[in-house]
Amino acid sequence: MKSFANVNARDVKDAVNKLREPNAVVVGGGSDLLGMVKDHLVQPDVLVNLKTIRGLDQIAAKGPEIHIGGQITLDTLSHNSMIRGDYTVLAEAAESVATPQIRNAGTLAGNVCQRPWCWYYRNNFPCFKNGGSKCFSITGENQFHAIFGGGPSFIVHPSDTAPALVALDAKFRVAGPSGERTLAAADFFALPKVNAARENVLGKDEILVSVSLPKTAKGTRSTYHKVLDREAWTHAVVSAAMVLEMDQQVCKRARIVLGGVAPIPWRLQKVEAILAGQQITPELAAKAGEAAVEGANPLAKNRYKVPLTRNLVRRTLLEMVA
Amino acid sequence: MSTLNSVGHPTSRIDAVKRVTGTATYTGDLRLEGMLYARVLRSPHPHARIRRVDLSKAQSLPGVKAILTRENCDIVWGSGDTRNKRYLFNNPVRFVGDAVAAVAAIDRHTAEEATRLIEVEYEPLPFVLEPEDALKSDAPEIQPGGNLSPNNQGKREPEVYRRGNIDEGLRAADHVFEEQYSSAHINNAQLEPRVAIAQWQGGRLTVYASTQGISNCHTEIARDLGLKPEQVRVVCQFMGGGFGNKNQCHDFDLMAAMLAKQAGAPVKLEFTRKEDFIAVHGRWPTKQYYKIGVRNDGTLTAIQLRGYSGMGPYRKGAGGIGGIEIYQCAHVERAVHPVYTNKAVSANLRGPDYPQGVFGLESLIDDIAYKLQMDPVEFRLKNMTRKFLDQTPYTSIGLEDCLRRGAEAFEWKKRWNPAPGSAPGPLKRGAGMGMGSFVSSLGRSSAVIDLDSQGMYHVHVGVTDVGTAAKTTMALIAAESLGVPLERINIIWGDTDRCPYSVGESGSRTTTHTGYAVMEAAKDLKKQLAEKGMPKGTDMLTATANTNPTIPGVARYSFVAHFAEVEVDTDLGHVRVTKYVAAHDSGRVVNPLTATSQVKGGATMGIGMALHEELLYDRASGQPLTAGYYGARVMTHRDTPEIEVVWVETEEPYGPYGAKTLGEPTIIPSVAAVANAIYNAIGKRVKDLPITRDKILGVLA
Ligand SMILES: Cc1cc2nc3c(=O)[nH]c(=O)nc-3n(C[C@H](O)[C@H](O)[C@H](O)COP(=O)(O)OP(=O)(O)OC[C@H]3O[C@@H](n4cnc5c(N)ncnc54)[C@H](O)[C@@H]3O)c2cc1C
Repeated sequence: MKSFANVNARDVKDAVNKLREPNAVVVGGGSDLLGMVKDHLVQPDVLVNLKTIRGLDQIAAKGPEIHIGGQITLDTLSHNSMIRGDYTVLAEAAESVATPQIRNAGTLAGNVCQRPWCWYYRNNFPCFKNGGSKCFSITGENQFHAIFGGGPSFIVHPSDTAPALVALDAKFRVAGPSGERTLAAADFFALPKVNAARENVLGKDEILVSVSLPKTAKGTRSTYHKVLDREAWTHAVVSAAMVLEMDQQVCKRARIVLGGVAPIPWRLQKVEAILAGQQITPELAAKAGEAAVEGANPLAKNRYKVPLTRNLVRRTLLEMVA
Repeated sequence: MSTLNSVGHPTSRIDAVKRVTGTATYTGDLRLEGMLYARVLRSPHPHARIRRVDLSKAQSLPGVKAILTRENCDIVWGSGDTRNKRYLFNNPVRFVGDAVAAVAAIDRHTAEEATRLIEVEYEPLPFVLEPEDALKSDAPEIQPGGNLSPNNQGKREPEVYRRGNIDEGLRAADHVFEEQYSSAHINNAQLEPRVAIAQWQGGRLTVYASTQGISNCHTEIARDLGLKPEQVRVVCQFMGGGFGNKNQCHDFDLMAAMLAKQAGAPVKLEFTRKEDFIAVHGRWPTKQYYKIGVRNDGTLTAIQLRGYSGMGPYRKGAGGIGGIEIYQCAHVERAVHPVYTNKAVSANLRGPDYPQGVFGLESLIDDIAYKLQMDPVEFRLKNMTRKFLDQTPYTSIGLEDCLRRGAEAFEWKKRWNPAPGSAPGPLKRGAGMGMGSFVSSLGRSSAVIDLDSQGMYHVHVGVTDVGTAAKTTMALIAAESLGVPLERINIIWGDTDRCPYSVGESGSRTTTHTGYAVMEAAKDLKKQLAEKGMPKGTDMLTATANTNPTIPGVARYSFVAHFAEVEVDTDLGHVRVTKYVAAHDSGRVVNPLTATSQVKGGATMGIGMALHEELLYDRASGQPLTAGYYGARVMTHRDTPEIEVVWVETEEPYGPYGAKTLGEPTIIPSVAAVANAIYNAIGKRVKDLPITRDKILGVLA
């Protein structure tokens, strides 16, 4: 591992300032970043530590909104009673991440901003994500790669909390040298055709500070279903974050966002439209499942993700109204 | 079976408290005065000639104390390859991970940085990854003479076993079944990475190793470095697992020794987790083509196997595909081709030849039973081995009881579905089973027992205890043989200066080989005690046993049958093992507590091999993609089902108190049991390991 300096940030402004030093990289829990440094995927001279910023690991209600500091650990987030109650999808997503050790150290911001887990990237292939100009998965081992939104890179977005945040219509507060800005969660993530080297719109010296969640409407229920290849300690093969606003048996409004299928959290607006104002019957759920995979563009080895996604969407919907 | 005083009683490990309180000193925990840290530079190419190595930048990095390359170190690692000369540093390099140089420096990071400053000019050569491709005439030659590794007679021919006449057997069949299977390269994945600390004192070398055998490690270090045996000491006090790939002496032991010599200081060489997957050996991948003949009444008439094993570019022995000896059958032919490839090296991993071979064989046997409308358990009861290779009587055989009692404990009749895949709904349950056998050898080992005037028995045995609780086993056997309580036994282990020869802890031999030596030493000591009386003051009574029992004309085997129930979510392609029963005939069970742990561990490893694990390669570049616990998807606690163990304790006339082998049989039929259960659940068969979601959804599509 290349040696580097660790600097502790006092506040957000200080963090952003320190990030302007040459070759500085922001670190939260370090649960992923330190491994990447050891693997020479990132070779920073300076790590700017956000954990020392006071109050950035809190959950607070502000008016109708809930503010969650980016430095909250996934474990704390998943056990918070307000999150569990009103934003179940986020608590379940956070709880599904990796292992207890990683959830104890890993932060929400770090989880959202984590780099891809594509094995070509993680094994230092000179791909788009490593500064190259090729995606090795296209003709290679692509069983875990994107069936939607791929090209020129076919990574899938690895974060479990990201689909949940998009489904909850969260807002992201981002800080940079020119101050702070707020974006809709869905606008935070960017497809490779926009920028194949990165997964979101953060500038080099910008950080994700916090997220805020709108008050949930009456009758809202939500859930996160993650399909994973062993019972713990691995990313989603495919996952579904669903938020349904129900009026008795009728679904007034739906938000459905998939993980593991695209380079960004993949929102299914067409499915949402099919569900809006309808009673979720087995037939409608099946129709929603079909619509979910419309336009899927699988590679040679990830065709199974199509039936998997179709079935996951259908089943999760039915379980939510059961 | 008669009841004994110590042997046969569930007993906690004698070092349990140390292990679970963190006070056990593993090799990696040692810190010697002035110790340096080493790192290895490895080939990024699957096959390349090294044109030039420039060390100047690395040498001038402050803190670098020694660098080894082929230029200054042409040591041959004897047990690294039994067919060709495998140097510590090879040119050409033949797989991604082949060692190019090793550096010792004041700390790990400096050593690693130095490896990155070494400039190597490679000339990439064509490479080949799959064994059958490697045998094609236009394949790149990996070792001089061709890619089919020579057989035991030194001939470039497959390893062949024959009995009867295969054509006759196939002609005698009412039905002939033909099928092919494959298994993946998987890793031993033991928790403790490879580590060695080498220290020279005068002309004498001490290696603190993480080894499955201090004795063979000791002999081979001396041989490979040209030292006299008395110039070498090997110590291993606590061992964090190996599953076959830490037996004998390893390249890192030798590298640490040579770096320490060059640097004039002790050197610690510890592998990273990634190196522990790509730079050491794992289980060889196989391709298996079977042809099996059977009569209408279910009698097997012919079993033919043509197999290919991918050994990587070096062959540490091994490479077989086992399993056919569990069936009685007049006409058998097996030809296995161990082939060089440019993937990571393969060699022993728990039950080396068997889990993959039994997977293929038992998958096809299962299909045959269904086709003949026979219950798979009945089919096996009808055709199971009765004499070893239909010829040599077994010393004891509890296979029938393993099948019957295992099936009963599992409630086979209730769980097994005579019409596979017919259950309604997306969640489908199914039951499967498989059986196996493993040689339970007797052979050379030694033990020394000292009795002091306080009445303590100091038992010197050269075991390291790879996780099997060998120390505790030896203590139980000593207490039983001496007729004293366990508290009076003090085990001295893991140091070639203090312990006599012991067989390496591989081949599941320690209990039977070294345990027998302990019994014989105890017998001698008791005789001496009767003659001479208790020793006085600082005197000791000493008994030494060097034993090497042989049993001509009979075959000594352990037997096993495993039963698995799975639930397959056919919507999601997800498999969960919901019930598991393992029935074992290992003769008398010396310590039921730790023996049960062995079975659970072996079955768990087999489930992981069936469902998850694979060192996957990128075909275009020859790079491994899934090295490490995350990528290989090694089983976690959450993946592990309840495993129920049924002991079939046969009356076995040989071995210590009638104990037979256990460690390796535990994994042998587990892969097959899970694969057969999946078939029983969904009615479709996946023939290539691991049986992952993409394959399950693929066959269901
Ligand atoms: C073995 C393993 C398994 C995992 N499995 C899962 C899984 O199943 N699901 C899942 O969602 N995740 C998984 N992860 C990733 C996990 O989410 C992260 O390790 C953790 O959540 C990251 O949080 P952290 O605070 O430790 O981030 P760090 O390791 O500190 O940082 C991760 C990345 O985010 C950047 N970053 C951190 N904070 C900020 C910020 N405020 N603004 C901008 N960029 C930032 C860092 O520069 C770095 O690139 C796994 C990780 C490992 C090591």
